[in-house]
Amino acid sequence: MSAERAAVPTVAEMPERYGEVFDRGYKHYDGPRRGRRGAITSLIGYSMKRAMGIRKSWTAKIMPFLLYLSASIPLIIMIGITAIVPDFPFASYSDYFSGIFMLVGLFVAIAAPEMICVDRHERTLPLYFSRAIYRGDYVLAKVVAMSLLTMTMTGLPGVLLWLGRQLTSDNIRQAMVDNIDDLWKILMLGVITSLLLGTLGLMISSFTNRKGVAITIILIGFLVLTGAAQALAITLDEYEWSRWFLLADLNTLVASLSDRLFSDSTTPDEFVQQLDLPLGGLIAYMLGLTVLAWFILRWRYAPRDDV
Amino acid sequence: MSSQTEIAGNQAPVIETKGFTKRYRGFLALDNIDLSIPSASVGLLGANGAGKTTLIRSLLGIIRPTSGSAKVVGFDTRSQGIKVREQVGYMPEADALPMSTTAADFVGHMAEMSGLPPREARQRAADVLYQVGLGEERYRLIKGFSTGMRQRVKLAQAIVHDPKLVFLDEPTAGMDPQGREEMLELVERIYRRMGISVVFSSHILEDIERVCDYVVILDGGRLLASQPLGDVNETLGQVSIDIDGPHAPFIEALREQGVTVSEMPSEVTGMPQIVVDVHDERIYDVVRDVAVARQVTIRSLRSRSKSLEDIYLGNVNASREVAGVS
Repeated sequence: MSAERAAVPTVAEMPERYGEVFDRGYKHYDGPRRGRRGAITSLIGYSMKRAMGIRKSWTAKIMPFLLYLSASIPLIIMIGITAIVPDFPFASYSDYFSGIFMLVGLFVAIAAPEMICVDRHERTLPLYFSRAIYRGDYVLAKVVAMSLLTMTMTGLPGVLLWLGRQLTSDNIRQAMVDNIDDLWKILMLGVITSLLLGTLGLMISSFTNRKGVAITIILIGFLVLTGAAQALAITLDEYEWSRWFLLADLNTLVASLSDRLFSDSTTPDEFVQQLDLPLGGLIAYMLGLTVLAWFILRWRYAPRDDV
Repeated sequence: MSSQTEIAGNQAPVIETKGFTKRYRGFLALDNIDLSIPSASVGLLGANGAGKTTLIRSLLGIIRPTSGSAKVVGFDTRSQGIKVREQVGYMPEADALPMSTTAADFVGHMAEMSGLPPREARQRAADVLYQVGLGEERYRLIKGFSTGMRQRVKLAQAIVHDPKLVFLDEPTAGMDPQGREEMLELVERIYRRMGISVVFSSHILEDIERVCDYVVILDGGRLLASQPLGDVNETLGQVSIDIDGPHAPFIEALREQGVTVSEMPSEVTGMPQIVVDVHDERIYDVVRDVAVARQVTIRSLRSRSKSLEDIYLGNVNASREVAGVS
């Protein structure tokens, strides 16, 4: 060892060498190994960080920051109004969720391609698949990561709104006990919406290696589907079956779920009324769509000879 | 090298395959491969398209073999894939690094992906990046790295979880001579200093001769040879002689003494050298006496051995003749 250290300055003088190999001794690792579960947990955390631009250049952080800011402003306004005028009807949960739906959609359109396309584009998949995970674990980790991130745009602001409303009441403790049901409903809405939008976003992104293409497909697909579904529902509203077109409209689905859960909307949505699905049916349909998107995503990562 | 080969001979094989076959649509990539490879620095030699990468990826479980079975570090690749991948590292040939992250972050993440807890993973990443010569650069974004530095990051992620075996797929591909030399140094260190068995895939004979003590030769998906490199280097019954001064008079004098002698280019330098057939130990005395009589200085006198190239070309040609390929 000492002899090699003594030789270091001589070799380091060679200007063309950008790095030198020293022998400070290699230590074998004999600590704990967390196996597959640890690998999945790591992939979830890493995917979330990358999608949020953490430990990346500042430009990667701009869009997530702006979207969080946009979701926070109505939240702050609503809590503020509730504090001043406790019975002001504008600050309902349904109105808030309807108001931020577009932001959530935009958030998914930006975050999902970052999670999926980058691994394909930079060809890191063989490195992941040579690790202690199955391909299904990779898909699972990405869906969990994307859903958790989307929860920060759906469930988390909802919880903050709930908390804000309780904290501005006269008897905080009693208000919390009385309104605990709303908290569960918020979480249910957040989880179902996040799973659906997150998995759909990942599924669409899995068909291309390019982030820009995936973002465009998600946004245009969302707008076209919404527009077409609503146009058909309006045009053919004399037929009872025309309401089923609205099943392709994610905006109406989420608004319907919110309406069924809270029944507190101040401005009733005509499409929600036209769709008129019971709560159980809505949840089953949204979860069914999520499972379908999951299967397609899983199929995209089935063993192939080119990956 | 010989000591490592002896050690290898006493250990259980790190790779065993039986009837290992991979068929793509209309194309046989691996043809009924039976292997038993000891813990060693193993060279996986073959031309482009010989099946090296397919074999590595199949052994890792990244692609599924069509038939046959394989055990890697004692675990079945089909039923114990996770166990295999926990104990094995892989450095792919192609670019496979995220550009907008730091080397430390990515290698640490790969350590976690192999099951190490976060704190240990960060520590291991720092240690291993230091080992591959990127200690100072580990907090730089990978997109700012040269080709050689990126290869080192790929190598670091392959060994960060302290595997028992590491597959290196063409690690010197696309590198300049300096970078290639440094990569070969690292590969040597992995087996000899770190004690990690290496499967080093390459189509460059010289690289394999330099760092490996066992060789597996593939051609067109078929296994041509699997043997210690020491066995390959069998002697040819010739000595090569370097002398100062002109060769012709010295060669003529040797022939006058009945020695079978010729002149051919050196495998190392390409310069002409004198080659003498040694049928009898007394030939050395004749060479010495002629040199003294002619006042010729002998610079070196080496026994010629069969090179890996001889073995490779011999096997490939024989195999193609059997297969009826001209």
